[in-house]
Order: sequence, then C-alpha cells, then structure tokens
Amino acid sequence: MIPPGYFFILSVVLFVLGIIAFFFKRDLITQFMAIEIMLNAANLAFLALARSSNFVDAQVIVFFIITVAAAEAAIGLAIVLLIFRKKKTIKTETLNSMKG
Amino acid sequence: MNSFGAVVPLLVVVGAALIVFLLEAFLKKENKNYLAYLSLLALIGCGILSANAWNGGLTYFDGMLRLDNAALFLTFLFLIAVAFVILIGMKYISLQDANHGEFYGLLLLALSGLMIMVSSTHFIVIFLGLEVLSVSSYSLAGLKRKDDKSSESAVKYFLMGSFASAFLVFGLAILFGTAQALDIPGLVDFFKAGPDNQVLGVVGLGLVLVGFAFKIAIVPFHMWAPDVYEGAPTPVTAFFSIGPKAAGFAVLIRLLAPYWNAGFRSGKLFGFLWALAALTMLAGNLIALRQNNIKRMFAYSSIAYAGYMLIAVLAGDGAGLLFFLTIYMFMSIGAFGSLIALSRKGREYNELGDFAGVGFKYPWIGAIFAVFLLSLAGFPPTAGFLAKFYVFVAAVNQGLTPLVLIAVLASLISVYYYLRIIVYMYMREPEREVSIEMENPALYLVLFLCLYGVLQLGLFPGNVLYLIKQAVAALL
Repeated sequence: MIPPGYFFILSVVLFVLGIIAFFFKRDLITQFMAIEIMLNAANLAFLALARSSNFVDAQVIVFFIITVAAAEAAIGLAIVLLIFRKKKTIKTETLNSMKG
Repeated sequence: MNSFGAVVPLLVVVGAALIVFLLEAFLKKENKNYLAYLSLLALIGCGILSANAWNGGLTYFDGMLRLDNAALFLTFLFLIAVAFVILIGMKYISLQDANHGEFYGLLLLALSGLMIMVSSTHFIVIFLGLEVLSVSSYSLAGLKRKDDKSSESAVKYFLMGSFASAFLVFGLAILFGTAQALDIPGLVDFFKAGPDNQVLGVVGLGLVLVGFAFKIAIVPFHMWAPDVYEGAPTPVTAFFSIGPKAAGFAVLIRLLAPYWNAGFRSGKLFGFLWALAALTMLAGNLIALRQNNIKRMFAYSSIAYAGYMLIAVLAGDGAGLLFFLTIYMFMSIGAFGSLIALSRKGREYNELGDFAGVGFKYPWIGAIFAVFLLSLAGFPPTAGFLAKFYVFVAAVNQGLTPLVLIAVLASLISVYYYLRIIVYMYMREPEREVSIEMENPALYLVLFLCLYGVLQLGLFPGNVLYLIKQAVAALL
C-alpha cells in the first residue's frame, strides 16, 4: 500500500504547479484549468488525510468541493464565452480597457 | 437551541430568488419592476424573522448554522444594504440597457451566501457560503452584457476570485490534516494547545487568511478590486464595496476573537496583520490620489477602508468594527447612489471632469454627494468621523500608537482626493454638457435614508451601539 503521506506530497506539488501555470499562462481557459488543478489538489489532500486519520468528514468535504468547482466551471465558462464572442480571442492581453 | 427556525430566514431569501428567476422568464420587459417589489418583500420578511430570533441563539444542522446576535446584526446590515442596492438599481438597469430580472435574483442569492458566511462557525459551511456569494457576484459584475468593461470586470473577478478560493480550500485541507477539526472552536483549541505539528497548521491558517484577504481586498491582494469596481454596474459595485468585505471581517473576528485576551498581540500573526493594515491604508489612499475615474477612486478608497477595519481587528475592538461597517455601509451606498443619480439613458458620468459645475446645476444631488464625501474623508459631525475616532481610540488604548499615526496620516492623504471632487463640483466651470435623468424616486429615497443614517450615527449613535454591544457579546 502506498503511504498516505505520498499522496499529500503529490497534492502539494499539484497545487504549486497550478499556481505557476496561473501566473505564466496567457489565456483564460488555461488559467481556469490551473485553478481546477489547484482545487483538485485540495481534494487529493483531503482524501489522503481521510485515509491516514480515518475521518469520514474529509470524504464528505470532497463532495462539497467538487460541487463548488462544477458551479464555478458553469459560470466561468459562460463568462469566457462572453469574452470570446466580443473579442474573438481569449488571450489575456486583450483585457486592457481599464487602467490606473 | 436546536430549531428549524434558524434556517427559515435563509429559506425565504433563497425561495424568493428562485421565484424571481422563474418569473423572469414570463414577465414582459416593462414589468420587470415587479421582481424588485417581490425581492423587497422577501427582504422585509427575512428581516422580521431575523428580528424574532434576536437573543434566541437558534442553531440547526448540528450547530453548523448558528444564529447568534453577531450573525443577526450582520444579517440586518446585509438586508438593508441589498434593499438599498435594489432600489438604486431599479431605474439604473433599465437606463443602461441591462434590464434583466436576474439582477434581483442574483442579489438575493449573494445575500444568502453572505448570511451563511456570517452565521456559521464551521469553515466548510463558511466556504460554501463564500462560494454562493462569489458565483453570484461574478455574474452580477457582468450584468451589462453589451458593455466591454462590464464583461472584462466579470472575467477578472472570476479568475482572481476562484484563484483565491483555491488557496482557501487548500489551506483548509492542511488545517484539517493537522488540527483534525474545521470548526472555529476546535481550531482555537488546537492552536492554544501548542502541539508539535503547529508549523503545518500555521501554513494552513496562512493560506486561509490569504484567501480571505483577497475577498476583502487587502494590499497586496487587492489588484482585482479597481478593475472590478470600475467595470461592474454601479449598484453592483456599491454591493461589492460592503457585502463581501463585511462578511470577510465577520469570519476574521470570529476566528481571532478568542485570542484577543490570550497573547494575541505578542504572536507572529499580529506583526503580519499589522504590516498588512499599514500597507493597505497607505497604498490604497496614495494610489487613489491619481485616479480620474470616480468609481476607480472609490475602489482604492474602499481598499484603504479595509485597512482601517483591520486596525479594529488588531485592537480587539469587535464593537468598533461592527459600528465601522454599519457606517461604511451608509456612506458607501450613498456615494455610489449619488454617482447613479448622475446618469442618463445609455450614459454614465464617472470621470472627474464630468463633475465640474454639477454642484450648481443640480444643487441637491451635489450637496448630498458632498456630505457623503466629507463623511468618507472623516469630518465631524458626520458618522465617518465617529467611526474612525472609536477605532483609533481603541487602538491607542491597546498600545498601537504607531499604527494609529499611520492611519491618521493616511486619512489626511485621503482628504485631498475626496475634497477634489467637491472642488470640481463647486469651483469649476462645466467642461462638457451633463444632462441627467431626474425621474428616479427610489434612488432619492435611498439617498435620503443614507444621509439620515450618516447624520444620525454621527450625532446620536446610542441605539445602534446598544444593539452592537449585544451582538458582540456573542463573539467573546
């Protein structure tokens, strides 16, 4: 059996990768995917902890987070689509109408 | 006391939101105002139910939902704020070609999120409330679908908001792993006990605080706020300036209040928050100086105000914080309401130059706007002065004199940009023709009520302070 600690380390790695991708990628969908990776890293962490400590709470929490991620995806993709219809691109450089 | 009554106020709001969404599909464009009346009715109903629960201490869902007096006081605050936002928004959304009934439904859903956030002590429930609030806020920011700025502000708010949520969730995972609990009393016990793996616990707590710092727009986590405030429809901006901020601070004091008398001011977290407060006040006010768009200026002003509120948290002054939030609600909605008064079909006047000569052309709107600006700048006898005064005195009594000096300095800087608007209104010749839609009774009602609130709380704050004392008793 793989020790739960390894899963926890994997989740930290995934979370950091998500942050890096969020800052270095320049289009909306990829940035959104980076956020999804970060949320799923948290899910993995919760599951690893549930396994190591025999707490069922953590598994329930994961369902909540999945629900929240789904709601965010629904709203987020709609907003990205709105931007795409206006600008015909989803590159973040084009979002510069406000400055100061 | 475990009672279903604890959920009923929430159910009224959510139920009304769903009915609004349903009716939206069948109502003709010119009848959309009925949705506003329905929403206001739901707010009144929720207010009456919450008033009945005062001092009741109702709980439900195994204590996950807890209607203590602090939660109820903030609920009243949110109910008033959302009612004001609906009233100032009714005419605005039809003038700005965004007459969608979803405005009212989403506002009610955002309100339910706020109510969940302030009436729970379990972090998963707080997180769910925060997400209900956020998801509705993202779509509210993009309400003016045909407007480029509005869509841009929606996408920026969405990206930064969910990025912050991810931090919050991951922090919760780490906290859960180390403390084996996510309810605030359990976490407090864990940190007070001081076990070996506290380092990991502090990392988790730090990530959670970063998540909340994004939501209440504390420097350096504020960069989304100016764009979102500028692009979002003005009534929605008024809502953003008070709703998420108040709820975020409510969670913060629930988490920190147990430490106020237990070595809070010698801990590491204290120094960190101290620096954030100083940075937030200075950066917010300094950057506001060079803004020519008034909505953007108010965005930076609201960032600076988050800094003042953080002082109240640092001083351990829960009553001062609630009083500050109450006053800020009236000032901020009043100021944004005055901006809305200066708009006509398909056009808003948000640039500083638009305000030249407005004080003479529209004397009433100019005068009322000036009172709100003076209150924001902190002049007596308006409430803005008293709010800052109480917080600063509490901070000095706790030995936070250097921070108060920075705050007073920042406050002085802010006088410049608030007065600049007044100077433009009364001492400049009009640069361009500004003509506005005068027929807007709901908006004038809100302006009058906010003016009343600002003066009443500035001169005779006794009644509200009495309620706040009862509310804070629940926290300590």
